[in-house]
Amino acid sequence: MTDPRALVGELAGDDRVLLVGVRHHSPVLAAAVPALLEAFAPETVLVELPAEMQPWVRWLADPGTTAPVALAADALVFYPFADFSPELAALRWAQRNGVPVICCDLPLTDPAWESGREGASGPSLGAVVRTALTGRDDDDLWDRLIEAGAPGSTPEAVRRAALAAGWALRHNTVVDPLDLRREGWMRGHITRTPGRVAVVVGAFHAPALLSGPVPDDAAATRPEPVISLVPYTFDLLDARSGYPAGIRDPRWQQAVHDCDADPARIRAAAGAFAVEVTRELRAQGHPAGPGEAAEVTRLAADLAGMRTLPAPGRGELVEALQTVLAQGSPAGAGRGVARAMETVLIGRQRGRLPAGAPVTGLRPAVERELTRLKLPGPGRPAQRLRLDPLRSPTDRARDLAIRRLTACGIPYATPGTAGPAVGGESLTSTWRLEWTPGTDAALALAGLHGVTLARAAEGMLTTRRHRETRAGGPTPDQSLTGLEAAASCAATALTHTRLTDLRRSVCRTGTITQLVTALHLLTRLDKGHFPHLAPAAFGTAVAEARADLHAAAVAAVAGTAGSTRVEDARALYDLVRAADEAGLLLRLGHAIRALTRDGSPLIRGAAAAVGVLTGHEQPGAFGERLASWVTLPDTAATDRLRGALSVAGALLQSGDEILTPLLTTIDNLPDDDFVRRLPALRGGFDALTPADRDRLLATVTDRHGPLDEHLPTDAATLATWLAADRAGLAALTALALPPTTDHPHPTPAAPSPSAPSLTGPSPTALPSTITAEQRWRLLLGRESDQLPARQRRLATALDELYGAGHGEGAWTAGGGGGQDAAYPQVRDWLDELEALFGADVRDEVLARAAEHGRLDAVLAADPERVRPSIDLLHAVLSLAGGLPEARLARLRPLVARLTAELTAQLARRIRPALTGLGTSRPTLRPTGRLDLAATVRRNLHTVRADAAGRPQLVPERPVFRTPGRRSVDWQVILLVDVSGSMEQSTIWAALTASIVAGVPALRTHFVTFSTEVIDLTDRVTDPLSLLLEIRVGGGTHIAAALRYARQIALVPSRTLVITISDFEEGFPLGGLLTATRALTDDGITLLGCTSLDDRGAPRYSTGTAAQLAAAGMPVAALSPTELARWIGDQVR
Amino acid sequence: MTAVRQIDPPEHLHAEELTFLAAADDGRRPPGWRLTPRAVVTFVCGSGGAPVPGPGGSRVIDAKFVGERALVERCVVTLAGERGLLLVGEPGTAKSMLSELLAAAICGTSALAVQGTAGTSEDQLRYGWNYALLLAKGPSAESLVPSPILTAMTTGAVARVEEITRCLPEVQDALVSIMSERRITVPELAGQDGAVGYAVPGFCLIATANLRDRGVSEMSAALKRRFNFEVVPPIADFDAEVALVTRQATAAVERGGATFAVDEDVLAILVTAFRDLRTGQSAEGWEVERPSSVMSTAEAVAVAASIGLAAAYLPGPDPLSLLPGHLLGVARKDDPADAARLLAYWDGALRRRAEAGSRSWRQLWEHRDVLRD
Repeated sequence: MTDPRALVGELAGDDRVLLVGVRHHSPVLAAAVPALLEAFAPETVLVELPAEMQPWVRWLADPGTTAPVALAADALVFYPFADFSPELAALRWAQRNGVPVICCDLPLTDPAWESGREGASGPSLGAVVRTALTGRDDDDLWDRLIEAGAPGSTPEAVRRAALAAGWALRHNTVVDPLDLRREGWMRGHITRTPGRVAVVVGAFHAPALLSGPVPDDAAATRPEPVISLVPYTFDLLDARSGYPAGIRDPRWQQAVHDCDADPARIRAAAGAFAVEVTRELRAQGHPAGPGEAAEVTRLAADLAGMRTLPAPGRGELVEALQTVLAQGSPAGAGRGVARAMETVLIGRQRGRLPAGAPVTGLRPAVERELTRLKLPGPGRPAQRLRLDPLRSPTDRARDLAIRRLTACGIPYATPGTAGPAVGGESLTSTWRLEWTPGTDAALALAGLHGVTLARAAEGMLTTRRHRETRAGGPTPDQSLTGLEAAASCAATALTHTRLTDLRRSVCRTGTITQLVTALHLLTRLDKGHFPHLAPAAFGTAVAEARADLHAAAVAAVAGTAGSTRVEDARALYDLVRAADEAGLLLRLGHAIRALTRDGSPLIRGAAAAVGVLTGHEQPGAFGERLASWVTLPDTAATDRLRGALSVAGALLQSGDEILTPLLTTIDNLPDDDFVRRLPALRGGFDALTPADRDRLLATVTDRHGPLDEHLPTDAATLATWLAADRAGLAALTALALPPTTDHPHPTPAAPSPSAPSLTGPSPTALPSTITAEQRWRLLLGRESDQLPARQRRLATALDELYGAGHGEGAWTAGGGGGQDAAYPQVRDWLDELEALFGADVRDEVLARAAEHGRLDAVLAADPERVRPSIDLLHAVLSLAGGLPEARLARLRPLVARLTAELTAQLARRIRPALTGLGTSRPTLRPTGRLDLAATVRRNLHTVRADAAGRPQLVPERPVFRTPGRRSVDWQVILLVDVSGSMEQSTIWAALTASIVAGVPALRTHFVTFSTEVIDLTDRVTDPLSLLLEIRVGGGTHIAAALRYARQIALVPSRTLVITISDFEEGFPLGGLLTATRALTDDGITLLGCTSLDDRGAPRYSTGTAAQLAAAGMPVAALSPTELARWIGDQVR
Repeated sequence: MTAVRQIDPPEHLHAEELTFLAAADDGRRPPGWRLTPRAVVTFVCGSGGAPVPGPGGSRVIDAKFVGERALVERCVVTLAGERGLLLVGEPGTAKSMLSELLAAAICGTSALAVQGTAGTSEDQLRYGWNYALLLAKGPSAESLVPSPILTAMTTGAVARVEEITRCLPEVQDALVSIMSERRITVPELAGQDGAVGYAVPGFCLIATANLRDRGVSEMSAALKRRFNFEVVPPIADFDAEVALVTRQATAAVERGGATFAVDEDVLAILVTAFRDLRTGQSAEGWEVERPSSVMSTAEAVAVAASIGLAAAYLPGPDPLSLLPGHLLGVARKDDPADAARLLAYWDGALRRRAEAGSRSWRQLWEHRDVLRD
């Protein structure tokens, strides 16, 4: 075993060759290099750059060049240079002193490069040795040994330490064949160059350069590469930006270099950085001042002292900043500190090339590429193109180039209008291509990111991801678009990263829709629909991501419980099917059962149907359940049927078991019951497509046998039979016999109060006139033209609302003909509805009409006659959003009446929870107001007789009274999400707010938010104008609302912030968590309401809610009464 | 001879090491400190197996705290600057132990501690009165009952406040003036000796806070600014955690006189399950639904000890079969959904491992019915 000291001494002590082993970014070495060269006075300087870069050395070292700049050769090698690059320091010294420079690395034309490895410095020092010197994982051997230890040492000592570090790294490492060949080539240069030479190379290579074989001349087999010199920036230079050969915190490195590695000046610089970070933090609104800055400086210096370092290094500064400023909360203050540190320590410095330097980089590369692909270049006319990348290799290359240009944000290709095929993805694409002046400008910008199109695209996409990460993202949406862009640009590495992002973001906080989109995207990846990516390239990554998505989907199922949207029911089905494939049914059964139990009616229906499809429930049981819904109250029946049928429409035609109970129930309904339930049931069956309805009708007809259109005998005989029957019935009715129970169709002799009362001969006066087939025609809204006249009236009245259905077979609609002309006046329709179905049903149909956007119907309704219900108010307000003031005025009486009634009802319920907020209570905390009676009671056991025999009480535990709160008011801030649509929660919130505003001890703020935050506090006492003032729509930005709440909170400890939202945040989750932490850190009490209504079944993003709860905002579904009680509890 | 204690305070347990280290390093010490800062770090983190030379021959110092050395270095430097140190972290991450060790090493006692609860009053942080004496003799230094913090101030020692976030905010804020002015005024004693208790050099404060208690009583920004925060993470290294669990569970079982006879394999599985559920990510990188309850190393030790005790006193079934029930007991504390999450873990990560062919994981998977409701 040879002594390492001796070996390093040998390396460093050569008389003719001055070996400077460097890391490509090393401030202390860069500061030492000029002194070293000055002392050695070499005749030639050799640097580790490929021979092809020789002509560029003069531009690199030119005094007009401002670092950072980067030298690149195609996509092969990439060398960023900053002031703290030792090579650049050496080149500049040589330029100043007129010493010739030789680029001594292996020419890029050499076949050895074929083995293709990125970077040029051998294995990066950091990657090889993640040393345990301090146990921090972002700090490597080089940082510890050289950068932190060197300040204050002589240049020669630094050089020796660096050589020793290089030797240590190389020791026991298997060296790449390419590196061996390059080292041989460099040895050749060293031997051939006469006189004293200084060699500036990577420390890893240095030990191999003095002795060893010298190879023959290179066999130039590879094409001559195109070299480019481009300006660079500090934020790209930072290792976290994802660019190769970067370094962490360039601005700190620059500062160390500018200090000439003098310990005292570095300490001062650390202090300056600490001050800058605290200033940045203050600008963000976090408390941080000179006191903290001083403590950071002290801590960093003392840490360095304890670790026997001459001056604090980057590691010590970062540790000190985090310890003093981050306050142990990575989500709250910590995030702000991280952002401030990035701003201050990375910096924004940009490089510049001297005047006269040749133009290189992306633009020439793109022009060459376009010419090769026969696509229009500059000055050529626009061209339209249809590409079929999956079939033709040329098209594949063109498609790739176009997508990369698009990813770089370069205006060149516009996607064609040939839309995608219905119900699938299109595999071909059409484009309009044209080179415009804008293309030139955008190319110059994109050129910063790489000198070939592939690199620039990958670079742009990486930067975009970096930006998203810095903003706290990527959000689920961003990672979905990012993955698609990366995959279509064939950026394999980035696609991998994006897959990881996808797993992280979408799995944690994605909504059901995003989860489905993600699964779809993964399928495309798997099936090779991205022509430039081999599906095999991802190995198990896609399968794993899919498994994670499935797991997340199962967890997200609970969040759909309160949904009233058919899309969610369908998404539920999609997810369940996907989970079935993934074998997650065990856990899923749990969730589905919970949904059938606790969900909203719609979701219950859907969950029950899904249960059958996945085998959790017997079809027979489902059939019974389906049948039982028919007799439920109106809306409950409608929604359950809609949910079940939107998922399992096809199920009805297949299973006899499922259908039979439903058919029997429908058949056995008495006529007037059937008519009364008809509108609700028709609404349920509305979920089926017309084609499905036809098939169902066929099934029903099959069961009952074909409808006989021919009379069994001649008309006259039949009329006689009928007359005889009626006469018999009349005789029986006259006897007033009690009705028999086994009669299949009870006579409508005792019509219900809401029974229709038509003038003229009433068809319903006839017994059981609606046959099973006719009932189904009415329910399904098909073949109405074959119905008898009286029933056609029913059908037409309902068709007016529901139309003929959507989806498959919708084109057959309108067979009945003349629907538009059925009711010339809306009022006629409403009257007809009332006449046919009764007033109750009319109101309900009215609410549905409002949901369907039938404003005319709502306007025609008489405010005094409708029954106030939150559903109706909800429907009407959903319409009101888009109305001009003139028409709104006509709607106002209706809304006013509904609001007033509902507010009065609600107030009766929640006032009791809020009374008596001002009384004071006993407490043990000294407040200054002694509660004498309680004190005596509590301390009776201390009574002693004093000398005179009088009893004396020793008040060991005095009791005080809390100050009366009547004077001290609390702030209640309601933040209401109005992003999606007008939700019932919004209405309840407004009503509740108006009642809470009436409590003297509370000051109530009502703030709506989407992407904009609107404070409606001035209207809070008047629920009518509050409700009419709300404008729905836009994205969801909860963080902005929380920040606003923080601004208007006066006394944090007496402030309640209640957020009512589905928590589907459209902005980075990080920002939301930071805002939440900021509020809880202030001492504000937070509550999240996923829904505020009487049902208690919310629809929300479970992932986000869980994260918020962890950050200090408990999330629950509450009724208005519970909310009021909670407020009362907090305030008391 | 003192009676046998269930838990010996560190200053007694490691008395010899402390004396040795005090003699071994004669470097500069901050005022009032018994050891040099570097010796404190060595005491807490151990000397890494290398013997430390000292006056009576050299000696290997054992590691007492399993964790990052840089973290301990920062803690020590913070205290050397006489600034408050706040250790935060998930429950069961040995925050209190770390604070005891630091206090014992710096001033020789870890006894000056206040336990924070919702009932903690200002008296316990500042001073109280012996009411009988107060009534009999009026306010005097004699009838004053100093708090541990006042004692630490006047003697230049380290005071500890456990679970500071559980104190009510107005009580916490009593610390603000103590930490900035470094004195406690006793207005009742105005004009007498001891009317102002001044902090002598060496006084500093270590507080611990629990991340899961967040929102119970949030600290005010003014108080936060007076502390340096250190987050004590759960043990990062798998092997270290298994070793710790084995050691502590063995000690707990052997204290009762039984022998700890649980297979190492079972312990490794136990620790893996705890780590998966704690981090929300399995060792293989698969997503795991996190239960809301605490799944710390301390809980893992408790479960391991229970299994060990069951094996010692009630020998019978395979110890692995006890694991699902114990895990359910740990996970299902307040949120009923946690049971479902545990089930999801069984159906997700655990099933995949079982399918991958590991025998013990397959055995564990077969005990799934324990979790069904």
